[in-house]
Amino acid sequence: MNRYFALLTLLLTLLATPALAQIEIRGPGQQAIPAALTPFLPQEGAPSPQVAAEIEAVLRWDLELSGLFSLIDPKAFLADAARIGLASTQVDFAEWQMLGAEAVIKGAYSVTGDQLVLEARLFDVVSRRLLTGRRYVGKVKDVRQMAHSFADQILLSLTSESGPFSTRIAYISNSSGNKELYLMEVDGHDPVRLTNHRSIVLNPDFSGVGKELLFTSYKAGNPDLYRKEIYSGKEAKLSSRQGLNTGGRYSPSGRELALTLSKDGNSELYLLGTDGSERKRLTNEWGIDVDPSWNPAGDKLAFVSDRQGNPHIFILDLVSGKTNRLTGNSKYNSTPAWSPKGDRIAFSRLEGGSFNIFTIRPDGSDERQLTFGGGNKEHPRWSPDGRFLVYSSDKEGRKAVFIMRADGTGSVRISPPGGDSNHPAWSGTW
Amino acid sequence: MKTKLLTHLLLPLALVALILPGCAKKPAPKPLSSDLSGSTYQAPVTSMPTQDVSGFRQQAVSDGANAGDTVLAAVPVSGLERIMFDYDAFTLSAKAQEILTRNAAYIKANKGLKVVIEGHCDERGSDEYNLSLGERRALAAKAYLVSLGVADSQLTIISYGEELPLDRSRGESGYSQNRRAEFKAVR
Repeated sequence: MNRYFALLTLLLTLLATPALAQIEIRGPGQQAIPAALTPFLPQEGAPSPQVAAEIEAVLRWDLELSGLFSLIDPKAFLADAARIGLASTQVDFAEWQMLGAEAVIKGAYSVTGDQLVLEARLFDVVSRRLLTGRRYVGKVKDVRQMAHSFADQILLSLTSESGPFSTRIAYISNSSGNKELYLMEVDGHDPVRLTNHRSIVLNPDFSGVGKELLFTSYKAGNPDLYRKEIYSGKEAKLSSRQGLNTGGRYSPSGRELALTLSKDGNSELYLLGTDGSERKRLTNEWGIDVDPSWNPAGDKLAFVSDRQGNPHIFILDLVSGKTNRLTGNSKYNSTPAWSPKGDRIAFSRLEGGSFNIFTIRPDGSDERQLTFGGGNKEHPRWSPDGRFLVYSSDKEGRKAVFIMRADGTGSVRISPPGGDSNHPAWSGTW
Repeated sequence: MKTKLLTHLLLPLALVALILPGCAKKPAPKPLSSDLSGSTYQAPVTSMPTQDVSGFRQQAVSDGANAGDTVLAAVPVSGLERIMFDYDAFTLSAKAQEILTRNAAYIKANKGLKVVIEGHCDERGSDEYNLSLGERRALAAKAYLVSLGVADSQLTIISYGEELPLDRSRGESGYSQNRRAEFKAVR
């Protein structure tokens, strides 16, 4: 009997799971969970208003971008927000319920010298339970990373899929006077220049495994493909065949890479081994073949070709060798990016004089336009969880990197001011 | 409906936790389901990277020894004129062919001259596509020069795509300046 009941409960749990997965990223106000983000309080040692403000700012930015929450105005907070009380028995849930909050984020920190201990909790107000808790130990200067990491944790506990906030975005900027490769946090903070080629650096991509970037640089007088280990700073030329060596993209397994080579007098797609050796020529057309993007299974490539006149997006099945055109009646389509779940392909299309971001299913159905209005929006790339897209836009004049939800809402500029920034690439789980 | 969201997620889990303490093979992650107080709380500890970041910050700018081998290794030659192209095209206009004929005569008269033909595009379109388009423009110019009797060995090509515009203004007058092939001497 007991066993039967247990089974029934298990079944109910399984049936209830889809409801959990239904929490989707949507526009503000739709299905958003009313949540209270309380100020983080000093636990031991001296209070550091700077640390507290940084934690709150990071969490607020991440949670607002997620679109999952409507954050309650802190001005409405009552006594509980000023109490540390990190156990559910110590939280005054009735008070939060009165304010309409369904979730409360509380936390405390201790600063000792340059050491920081951060405790953060997410509570469910309705069931009066702790949903997730984390304790971070590290340096004060890593406070933003800790906060991003907890934002990931919040999304994980509510949707069973981690957020992407502690990953990184690489991009190209000419703020130093030359186009160089940079790395920044997802919210655009702490940009770091990774190259000093004093030439032209283009089109970065992260390896799926390991903290490594691929990019093209004119450093040696020809557009060659380089790889760079981010933390060691080690850099090596991967392909320096005559002509173009561009658009390098590691396969999901990391065992090979697709790129464009024009050594034969016309740009074609090739597969290279990770040592730069030629594995296979993938296209053989008079037209331009560029911008490969792998599907998550690693058996298909979306790419751009003008073989049928205008630039269109095609899908090459690496197993059957068959190629199908994806985009229909339109003049100019570019930079396809296959979503990490494989269900959609984002790309940029020129229409009415400007580029905008679209997505489409790999079978060519359900095309949607995500961006509108003035300026050119190009180079879309997915976050590793598929919730967000990062892209370049010149709608504010100079080129800058923007982020938005996968449905096109919530777009906000993230790259720092100064120079032109474009061609973002989103890392995998960091 | 909204207010039930969180309860919705947790109620079944709570039920399972209540009813299946013996059956569940995999114990629920302790720190998340148990709720211990303040300082004794045993939450998962994430040690943040501290060495890495400063490590690569220093690495990032340690690499500037060879500023010489950059894009501008070629120098303009007064006897060689640039040619212009239409949008998304690499066909040679009558005007371009006329200029190429003059350029061909100049290169043939200077046998020791090595010329690099640079293909350029306006900024519209994808960077990658424009790199290929720039290459086609350079190749088209090279093929025409060779057809006029210029030695193949005197000519090389490179594409800069949309990376080196002459005119940074947006609009057709600027764009048309940037869709070009340039002829420079290799040092």
